[in-house]
Amino acid sequence: MIAVEDLTKIYGNRAALDRVSFEVPEREIFGFVGPNGAGKTTTLRILAALLEPTAGRAFIDGSDVTRDREKVHTRIGYMPDFFGVYDQLTVGEYLDFYAACYRQPKQRRRKIVDDLLALVGMTERKNQQVDSLSRGLKQRVCLARALVHDPAVLLLDEPASGLDPRARVELREILRELQGMGKTIIISSHILPELTELCSMIGIIDHGRMRATGPVHEVIARLSSGRRLHIRVLDEKDAALEILAPLPAIRHVEAVNGTIEAEYDGDERTASDILLALTQAGIRVSSFAPVDGGLEDAFMKATSEEVG
Amino acid sequence: MNVATRALWNPIVAKEYRTRMRTWRSPLAITIYIVLLGGIGWAVFAALTVSATGFGQGPGSLGQMLFTFLILFQVALLAFITPALTAGAISGERERQTLDLLFVTPIAPFSIIWGKLLASMSFIALLLVISVPIFSLVFLFGGIELDQVISAFLVTAVTAMTLGFIGVAFSTVLRRTLAATVASYGAAFVLLAGTLLWGTLFPTEVDASVTTQSAPPAITLISPVIPLLTIATNLPVTGYGVRYKNVNNSGPAILNSSGGGQQYCMASPNGGVMCQSTTSTTPGFFQTNSVTAIPSGLFKGWQYWQANVVMQLMISLAALLFSALMLPPVRRFHLRRRRAPAPQAE
Repeated sequence: MIAVEDLTKIYGNRAALDRVSFEVPEREIFGFVGPNGAGKTTTLRILAALLEPTAGRAFIDGSDVTRDREKVHTRIGYMPDFFGVYDQLTVGEYLDFYAACYRQPKQRRRKIVDDLLALVGMTERKNQQVDSLSRGLKQRVCLARALVHDPAVLLLDEPASGLDPRARVELREILRELQGMGKTIIISSHILPELTELCSMIGIIDHGRMRATGPVHEVIARLSSGRRLHIRVLDEKDAALEILAPLPAIRHVEAVNGTIEAEYDGDERTASDILLALTQAGIRVSSFAPVDGGLEDAFMKATSEEVG
Repeated sequence: MNVATRALWNPIVAKEYRTRMRTWRSPLAITIYIVLLGGIGWAVFAALTVSATGFGQGPGSLGQMLFTFLILFQVALLAFITPALTAGAISGERERQTLDLLFVTPIAPFSIIWGKLLASMSFIALLLVISVPIFSLVFLFGGIELDQVISAFLVTAVTAMTLGFIGVAFSTVLRRTLAATVASYGAAFVLLAGTLLWGTLFPTEVDASVTTQSAPPAITLISPVIPLLTIATNLPVTGYGVRYKNVNNSGPAILNSSGGGQQYCMASPNGGVMCQSTTSTTPGFFQTNSVTAIPSGLFKGWQYWQANVVMQLMISLAALLFSALMLPPVRRFHLRRRRAPAPQAE
């Protein structure tokens, strides 16, 4: 659905993007992660046909973003990281205006607006001035705005920034619902745990270069320094440590606040072998939980390399 | 929706009407406009009736004088209002961070500009329409025909339109509304007064022995002031924009005799020439009045207001095309040469 090939953008002597490539299949949520100034917004603006790349190509549903701008605009819903709203317009009028801009027939616009307000949970705010809404509600209205023409692709630049925890959870639910409706979504964010939960694919970008891209669990597995286990045992903690420490797969093991934390090399089969070793030694295990090193770990590793 | 309807009523226009008329600024601007225009009309009327002096004697002359003051004051008012309406049209969207949201819609950049212009010009049209009752007072005194009012309003409307188009052009190219507003007012000053000043500083030089009439430099026709004066007074342009050489300083002499009347010219203290027409005629509806026609140059035989309207329309068209070319986020051309890509870091 989305294909980016060697995308390069140069401002003066600085490369904001340096041969960035990735693909997002249909109906996937792609998390775009990177520190400030890494090139996330530049990539999304090029995909939204708002910026011309210096080199490379990008396609949305087969349409080249530099050549078929009009077609691309009908296929995407774009939500920028910073956006404003018009004063003197109600939420309903605001959405109706954009629906008219997307040439939706007047008879259909009322239903579109009502459906979108229901989707983002703002039906009761239809007649409120859009300028008077809180940041979180404005984010929701902007998301609804991006959907007025029922696009196949959503490009969301930091949609969760500035939101309180409840608003983030609600936004996550809305995005899941949109994925269920068949949308392909690219979402850039700094909030890594949320991306892990929400995204099926991920791309880590730093200094304009794509450091890693692919399914979330693969990227994490590839970049994580090791897998971790959290193990709880009944009264035999020291014995368990003695059994675990000599195992060849174990890299490091220690007891932290009543829980044994073990770092190991291997896969799920290795983890089950570790559990087997404990139970065969008569250790009564009450809890055995593989702990993902997580996106944070992968992100730190991917972005710690020096750029030449 | 056909092309014409879409051009006249795109969503931008509807949104602009809605947001503009919901603020207190629009009714306040209309009220101040009417009060000022009515006030100047009343003040001029009062002053003229007391002094009983004007272009001549009698109510017709009073009407002419009142009309002249009103129409010039109206142009001055619109020169203040129009840049304020249009200079923030695009830069305001940029500052509000709503421009990108418009760019990702199928609305063409030209339609965005057109919508903004149409909404602003509609407001100007509203101001012109509501000023009609004030101008109709002139007919109580006579001296002014309907065609004069129509051509004066046409010149005024085109002037406002030109200022509006220039305002939007500055708004497109300058990122900040403040800078665009300052530039627009500067352009308004140049258009109204600067070109007029040009005629004084760099007049057409004519040998006094030549019997044909001469016109001020063509650039001075960009200003609506001279055209409006010729419309209001039905007199030719005299003593402006033309410098006569080899003038007989001993007394008045008939220099020109053409078309519908003669001109007496004599040397003025500043070395120029002051001329006075001996006759004036009232033309029919939009008929060419040879007395007030441009006697020479590029627009020879045209009325001053006709030349002014054409020149302002050309400026408007240039400003519109410039705005349309500069607005798109991804342009097909660049004002500055693009730098060669920097070497790729490995």
